[in-house]
Parts: sequence; C-alpha cells; structure tokens
Amino acid sequence: MIDMQNVSPIIDKKPIIGHGRYLSSPVEYGPGTLIVKSGMKYVRTFVLAPSSGESSGVGALPFDHIVIEDNAFADICIVIFPGVSADIALPVDFTGEGSELFLSGTYVSSGSDKVGLSFDVHHRMPGCKSNQIFNGIASGRSVVTFSGKIIVAPDAQKTDAYQVNRNILLSEEAKVNTKPQLEIYADDVKCSHGATIGRLDEEAQFYMRSRGIPLDEAKVLQMLSFISPVMEHISDAGERASVAESLESAVRSVI
Amino acid sequence: MGNDILLKITDLHAAVGDKEILKGIDLVVRKGEIHAVMGPNGAGKSTLSAILTGKPEYSVTSGSVTYLGKDLLAMKPEERSWAGIFLSFQYPVEIPGVSITNFMITAVNARLAALGREPMKAGDFLKMMREKMAFVQMKPEFAKREVNVGFSGGEKKRNEIFQMAMLDPTLSILDETDSGLDVDALKIVAKGVNALSSPEKASVIITHYQKLLEYIVPDFVHVLKDGRIVKTAGKELVGEIEANGFDNY
Repeated sequence: MIDMQNVSPIIDKKPIIGHGRYLSSPVEYGPGTLIVKSGMKYVRTFVLAPSSGESSGVGALPFDHIVIEDNAFADICIVIFPGVSADIALPVDFTGEGSELFLSGTYVSSGSDKVGLSFDVHHRMPGCKSNQIFNGIASGRSVVTFSGKIIVAPDAQKTDAYQVNRNILLSEEAKVNTKPQLEIYADDVKCSHGATIGRLDEEAQFYMRSRGIPLDEAKVLQMLSFISPVMEHISDAGERASVAESLESAVRSVI
Repeated sequence: MGNDILLKITDLHAAVGDKEILKGIDLVVRKGEIHAVMGPNGAGKSTLSAILTGKPEYSVTSGSVTYLGKDLLAMKPEERSWAGIFLSFQYPVEIPGVSITNFMITAVNARLAALGREPMKAGDFLKMMREKMAFVQMKPEFAKREVNVGFSGGEKKRNEIFQMAMLDPTLSILDETDSGLDVDALKIVAKGVNALSSPEKASVIITHYQKLLEYIVPDFVHVLKDGRIVKTAGKELVGEIEANGFDNY
C-alpha cells in the first residue's frame, strides 16, 4: 500500500544493519531492531507517501527500534506526505560511547489522516550526541500526536541531546498534540527540548502580498521555509531536491 | 485633464475595529508629484498607508479611493502591487527561512505572470538584483539572508528601498521611512527615492519629522491631525512645522 522509497543511499558500503539479540543487557532487542554497529554509519531517508493511484494509505518504517553502538553515526529522516496515516514508535538506545544520532522529519497531514510519532532516545552511555528536529503541518481534520522523550542514564555523562517539534495548524479542525519530555539522571550533560504549535504569520503574508506575491504563494513560501531545516538533513543534494519538489506539491495541495 | 491623476482620495473614513481613525481625507496625487503627509503621533498617518495598501484589519467606513481611475479599495494587496503601488513599511516584517533572493524572484515573477508575461531569466534577475543592491549600498551577501531577520533598523529600511528599486513602482508610499535612521542611511533612502522619481511617477512620504524632507523636496505638504488634513501648502510648510510643531493646526 505504501511506496517506501529509499531516496537516500546508504553511504557506508559495509554491512551496517543487523537484526537479532546481542549481549545480556537492559536493552531489549527484537526482530525489528536496527543495530548501527560500532564505527558504522547509517544514513537514510524514508518517504511515506500513498501508492500511486491511491489517495491514502498507512505508513511504517522497516524497523521499530534502533540500537547505536560505540563511535557510530545514524542519520534518519522521515517524510510523511498527505494521505498517509502512521503510528510510528521508535525507541533509540545508545549502547556505546562517542556516537551520534540525527533524527529528523516532516509531515504534511490532510483530510482525516492520523499521524502518531513517538521517539524515546535513551542515552545509556557517555559522550553521545542526539539531535532531533520534526517540523510538520496539519491541515483538514487531521490529527498529529508527537511524543518525544530524552532519557539520560546516570552514567551517560557528557551527553549532548536536543529535540524540537514545531507545528503549523492550517485549519480550525486540525489537531496537534505534542509532548516533549526530558528525563535526566546525569549531571554533566547538555540537553534541551522544545515544542511549538502555531499558525502562519499573517503580518508576513501581508508584507509578501504588498510586494505582489499572491496570498496562496505567500503561504507556500512560508510552509516551505518552515520545512527547510528538516530538508537540510537530507545529505544527498539530488535526493533532497526531489523530496523538496514533492513536498512543494504536497504543500500546494493542502492550502 | 484628469488623466494625469494617479491617486484620488475622496472623503475617506476608516476604522480599526470600532475606532474611527480617518475622519474624511481628501487628497489628489498627480504624476510627477511628491507629497509629504506630516502629523503628530496618532493622527492617522499609518492608517492612511494601511488603507492604501489594503491591510486586512483596517476597514473603510465611507469615501472612495481611485488609482488610475480604478477603485483601489476593491483590489487585493497583491493586485495593488501589480498595478504599481509600493509601500515602504514603517516596521518591515521578518520572514524567517525565506531568502531575499527567493522573496524577490517570487515577487517579480508573480507580477509578470499577472501581467501575462514570461518569468524573468535567472541570470537577468540576479544581475538586476546585484545592481539594485549596490544602488542602496546593501552588501551582496544580503541576497542570501532571510528577509529582515536580524537586520538593523537601517538595514531594514535599505532593504525596503532595494525592493522599491526592484519593483519600480508608479506610486511609492513611504511610511515613516526616516524613523530610526542615521544621516548616512537617510541619504541612501533619499537618493533611492529621488532616482526613482520621474514625470510619470509619484511619491507620498508619510513622516513625523522633517529630516527626510531635507533630502527629498516635496511639492506639497499636508498636515494630518486627528484623522483630517488640516492644512496643505508647499515645501515652506516643512520649516514652519519644524519651528512651531503641530499645535498651530
């Protein structure tokens, strides 16, 4: 039902994905665990869009848990198009030191889409960085639920964790619930999080219109600029351009 | 001989919410003229510019405004821009995430599309942008900056004049463009306005102070007070107001 296009190549040519059980540790490995092994790099963008010919569908990722070992790097971007309902819960465990995670995404929801996103990033080991940014737009009667938790274990000193979820409500009927949480048990860490829900700035719209930009075009510019910090996380320029082009059509379709 | 009239305001009453701000304005602006509208705070100066450019939260309660013979009040803000009206904002608005280049190319091409013409070629556009930025002494790196985000007061006003130069308006309205500017920035603004004026165009300069009018010499000076134009004279009125303030009107 879903086109799960892999629009960004896996940069590292070595085998980097593992499934299965490792070590007796508090981390619970399951069949859907993606392991980014020691010293490896995993970079991927997931585009969740209705299949061609369909106007709606259900979106999912091929894994439901990520484990990041030491000195590893993971960069995952999730792009959810109008017409897609999804319930994505993705816990992340850092099980080694000196690793880094970028987790980013955007959603443009419409109609009666229901988009649920839940990311618990568990810093179990010292010296890791996590950076999450999710900027999304809710239109129609769609409902978006975002839940993000950063957990820093007592031993995970020198953790650097950041999370932000920004939302634009495009209609009166659309709903967004966002719940950012921090649980910090270590003292030498840098953590911040934030969430916003707002509407498109009408002062800026008037400013643009006074320069001859039609209202709808002004809204498109505003929405694309809202999404662009997420686009920057797609490292391959060609693929970034192709996702950006599809997103522009998506944004035009929800005005 | 009415065909040289650009803007004609007749008995204009306007309100914000329930509050009447403009209480019967009459003003005729002909091609080639520079008008200054001066007045104390709260006189209705900014409401006048808001009405002329179609700001949504302002409402006209009676009267009429025509631009080149057409009902200006029936036109959307973007249509007014396409027809050649430009407002230099008193408080230019920040547009996070939108670069000046992207902003201007969208504006220029939207107008060309509205006029049924082809979009500008990227190379031609960038060349024009470089020229106009140099003209208002904006550094080239501003092309990539987000519109007005983190700009100083002077940079914002120069950006307004830059946009004015790009859009080449027939009627320019400058709303308190001089406020908060040092003399150098003021001269750049004045140079821009003077260079863009022609026998086919006109400017309305709305201001509290006389400063800008040392560099842009108006043909007519109007005193706006409590929602009405209470006096109209030539440029000599500027000095009179400077000496005596607005209390005499």
